[in-house]
Amino acid sequence: MSTASSGFKLGEWIFTTDHKRIGILYLIGSIAAFAVAGIMALLIRIEQAAPGPTIVSDAFTGGDQYNVWLYFHGAAMILGFLIPGLTGFAANYLLPLMIGAKDVAFPRINALSVWLFWAGIVVALLTFIVPDKPDVMWTGYPPYSVTTAGNTALYVFTVHLMGFSSILAAVNFLVTIIYMRAPGMGWNQLNMFVWSCFTALIIQLIFVPVLAAAVTLLLFDRYLGTHFFDPANGGDVLLYQNLFWFYSHPAVYVIFLPAMGIFYEIFATMAKNPIFNYKAAVYGGMCCIVLISGEVWVHHLYYSGMPDWLRIGQMVTTLLISVPVGLMTISLFGTLYKGAITFNIPMYYGTASLYLLLIGGLTGIPLAMTVMSVHLGETSFTHAHFHFIMGIFATFSVFAAVDFWFPKITGKMLNPAQGKLGFWLNFIGVNITFWPLFIIGVEGMPRRYWDYSQFPSHFAGYHKVATLGAIIVAIGMILTISNWIISAIKGEKAPDNPWGSNSLEWTHTATPPGPGNFPAPVTVDATWTPYSYKR
Amino acid sequence: MANTASAHGHAHAHHWETSVAPLLIVIGVLFLVVFGFLSWFSYNNILWTQICAGIGTPLLLAGIAKWTAEALTQKPVVEGLTPIALPLFIVSEVFIFLGLFTSYWTMRLSAGDNWPPAGTPTDMNLILPIIMTVILVTSSFTYHVAEEKLAKNDIGGVRLWVFISIVLGAIFLGCTVYEYQHLFHMNFKPSTNAYSTAFYSITGFHASHVLVGLGAFLTVLIAALAGKTNKYLTFCVGLYWHFVDVVWFFVVSQVYYW
Repeated sequence: MSTASSGFKLGEWIFTTDHKRIGILYLIGSIAAFAVAGIMALLIRIEQAAPGPTIVSDAFTGGDQYNVWLYFHGAAMILGFLIPGLTGFAANYLLPLMIGAKDVAFPRINALSVWLFWAGIVVALLTFIVPDKPDVMWTGYPPYSVTTAGNTALYVFTVHLMGFSSILAAVNFLVTIIYMRAPGMGWNQLNMFVWSCFTALIIQLIFVPVLAAAVTLLLFDRYLGTHFFDPANGGDVLLYQNLFWFYSHPAVYVIFLPAMGIFYEIFATMAKNPIFNYKAAVYGGMCCIVLISGEVWVHHLYYSGMPDWLRIGQMVTTLLISVPVGLMTISLFGTLYKGAITFNIPMYYGTASLYLLLIGGLTGIPLAMTVMSVHLGETSFTHAHFHFIMGIFATFSVFAAVDFWFPKITGKMLNPAQGKLGFWLNFIGVNITFWPLFIIGVEGMPRRYWDYSQFPSHFAGYHKVATLGAIIVAIGMILTISNWIISAIKGEKAPDNPWGSNSLEWTHTATPPGPGNFPAPVTVDATWTPYSYKR
Repeated sequence: MANTASAHGHAHAHHWETSVAPLLIVIGVLFLVVFGFLSWFSYNNILWTQICAGIGTPLLLAGIAKWTAEALTQKPVVEGLTPIALPLFIVSEVFIFLGLFTSYWTMRLSAGDNWPPAGTPTDMNLILPIIMTVILVTSSFTYHVAEEKLAKNDIGGVRLWVFISIVLGAIFLGCTVYEYQHLFHMNFKPSTNAYSTAFYSITGFHASHVLVGLGAFLTVLIAALAGKTNKYLTFCVGLYWHFVDVVWFFVVSQVYYW
């Protein structure tokens, strides 16, 4: 198999409409966002290493500086890294290959999506240039976001650009999955990753516009003087929180589903097993998550005031969603059962994620319970919980995806020693960072505080350990990402199918795939699945 | 491998597909909308606003023109998928409007008897929205005639009826501008009270959709004047316009008459 490409042409990259190159553009943008947001995380941790001002200039303006870091860390990690890393990079590169399509349904719209995303990154990065830096977390709650001196418009436009990019991508990929599968490929023969993107993108299509509406109203309130969120003039502050979380809770599943999809692919390939309980995981797991995802957002408002019947109802739906998540997790574990497991870097991240899923999932249960949530909700316990499940689990899935498909994307193998060292530093580092936060969270350390001198003095020790962990993670991340760059340039040449996978992107394309993806159109018959391994 | 097949003999693409249009559009939007808004509202700098609009507008228009030209001449990967994609996009639009209407309903229902709030003119013009409804519904019909002309390959008819639809849509927007001016004159502004908040946001957001629809009409018209038509494009533009039409019924019934 040969590809037609020869040499690097800038115009072929920035004007590209090819899904694989667009996928790589997504990856570069999201890793850039990840790096800057990661530096913000380090600043946050270093500030918290001791009570009182550590690196902020003084006690009076310290909070403002700290808020800008929190804003950028949250907004860029979620909107700029996780969502585009999974539904942007991974879906773009892999999905058409997995279903045997030459490209997506609308290649030009795909290019529009990626550049809208990049424009969103540019607007987010303006934070560091403008004098009135936005300081509204990633949530932008009014009334603060309407009255602050910070530039809320930057936040709103970041959401708008990335949101519009997501909606277009969702339409594009849903049509692609429905109409462009290889002849003969039935719905029960799809890769788990394709299913996970399909379900995640349904969520994006329905819920992103509501967030867009919410932040648009915020913009009106701030700059046109309207009163949507102004109780003094007939508005409602909680309205914003409802609209915001109506999207932003389902957004958790937009990240969770493709992350799980990636691990299914890795586990099945490395264990040479079919997916355990495929239909239960797809229909009972992923599809049910789509159905329930829109009915749980109110648990983010437990402390904002609401009638008890609503609180109890939302507790029930929140706990209910652990059923489909459980089905998916059982499938993930079951896929490894009696497998001939090849233990390499993607599998390191995969097995670590089983642990992260367990800790992150179990610590979610007390937070779903209204009674315990009143105590734990606004503490660093919550902070550690969602970093385990959203932050680290999802980040590891992006890393695992890059490591797993690296030979396909670049035609080169990664340096295994550096990859493993990077993994261990990342894994040990995140545990050192977030376990202390669980502990002091239970003891009452609040979230989002930059200064905790009024709290018990032994908190400082835990915070110091957590900061040490963050520094270890930073070294691990540098090793991991530099490994990608160095190996892409001068790594060992990769064989066409180094992991012996049965999925179309490995069996039927060149390494790396050229324009048009497949040397000849692909058809599959009724007995084919991406996971039919002969043992 | 027995259960998969690669049928040989089909030629495949040997070069990377490119298009300048998407990047032009994004840079145009970035300057015109984002930087323009920031210059005007955040930093109150008229010169910057003019520069941003001056850079953004031509880029945006050039991008759209290039895009349309490519779409009318190039063969898509799989033909006929646009009429499926547009309804999906409209699902998204429905939820945006739901978000707006929900916000309005929240304010409206929590106000109780205190509605319309102080500051609302007692003599709101309720005849104009009826006239606007008639105009908009008529334009949906006239566009439908254009679609029928296209089915009969009567390109002259397409030009004529799309042009009539554009005129009707423009009159609709003119009515909105007139209404806004009139209300501003009566000191009813977006910041006046809860009703003005919802009124301007919802009618304004709808009007922006009318504007996009008019732009789409113009695209069809210019292409038709150049002798080019595309049944999928014509169908999608029509579908979008009918959607904007349906939303208007909700705007009238909820915002004007409730």
